[in-house]
Amino acid sequence: MRNYVAVVFNDTSKAYEGLHTLWQLDDDAEVTVHGTAVVHRDALGNFQVDTKETHPALATGVGVGVGALLGLLAGPAGAAVGAAGGAAIGAATGGMVGATADLARADTRDQAAGETGFVLGVGQSAVVADVSEDWTSPIDTRMGNLGGTVYRRAKSDMEDDVWFDDYYIPDSYLYPYEYIPSGYSL
Amino acid sequence: MGKMDTNVKESLDHIRAATQELHGAISDAVAKRGGATKADLEALAQKAKGVAETAKGSISTQHDAAKKHLADAVTHLEATQKHVGESLKSSAQAFQTSIQKALADARASAQKVSEAVAAKRSAISAKTPK
Repeated sequence: MRNYVAVVFNDTSKAYEGLHTLWQLDDDAEVTVHGTAVVHRDALGNFQVDTKETHPALATGVGVGVGALLGLLAGPAGAAVGAAGGAAIGAATGGMVGATADLARADTRDQAAGETGFVLGVGQSAVVADVSEDWTSPIDTRMGNLGGTVYRRAKSDMEDDVWFDDYYIPDSYLYPYEYIPSGYSL
Repeated sequence: MGKMDTNVKESLDHIRAATQELHGAISDAVAKRGGATKADLEALAQKAKGVAETAKGSISTQHDAAKKHLADAVTHLEATQKHVGESLKSSAQAFQTSIQKALADARASAQKVSEAVAAKRSAISAKTPK
């Protein structure tokens, strides 16, 4: 089954351990990973996507795309606020972006939490992934062992959302391999 | 698992790794912006061509579930090669447009190959006695 997954961790180093573990599960053929990204929410509530992009406009584009994906992952509440909010935030703050900043709003957050439970809190980091998995237990077990909380939506459900919103699933911003910026180490 | 299956697995895994490397190299070139040299771009075009040829040549040996995905990957790899070639002949804004298109097609090719891997794994898993 094709799913989008967000695994939320309380710190960045654990998120990168989670990223590495996810690709290890792929190496072991337990799941197939199509793409991943690591995102953070800082103390001010800003979202940042770890990307190779150095140009502010392109980095913003990546942030808006991954942010919109997180919005879809949060369910119809997140999808409804989608790219428009992310574009505004991205344009205002360069690389510090994220459509799901809207999920910081109490009404949207409560609705999203009711639908999928997925919310990225202040100071937390998350691994976002596009995966094919026959069983959910490999990811749930390994990420649980690392202290991560797994949120999952079927691709088909997200496609239903974007069908009604006339939007596409922006998964092309995910890296199709394990990308760890030079500033981080496992 | 017999020898044929092992070869098929190695082949598809090799193609997947090659498309991932190609995407990594192009995204590095994009990040360098004006710093990517003509030699860098020529090497990327050659790499895209090589991966496309390998992938095309292996389609017939693949699991049925994986063939369509791999054929789609070849289309994207050929487009990647074309766009990298265009970037070699252009400058400034046109270069950025071409290299971004190359990156998008490289990403799409990696995605299609990983979908081929997933399809094959799922088909094999379904056949394996529990």
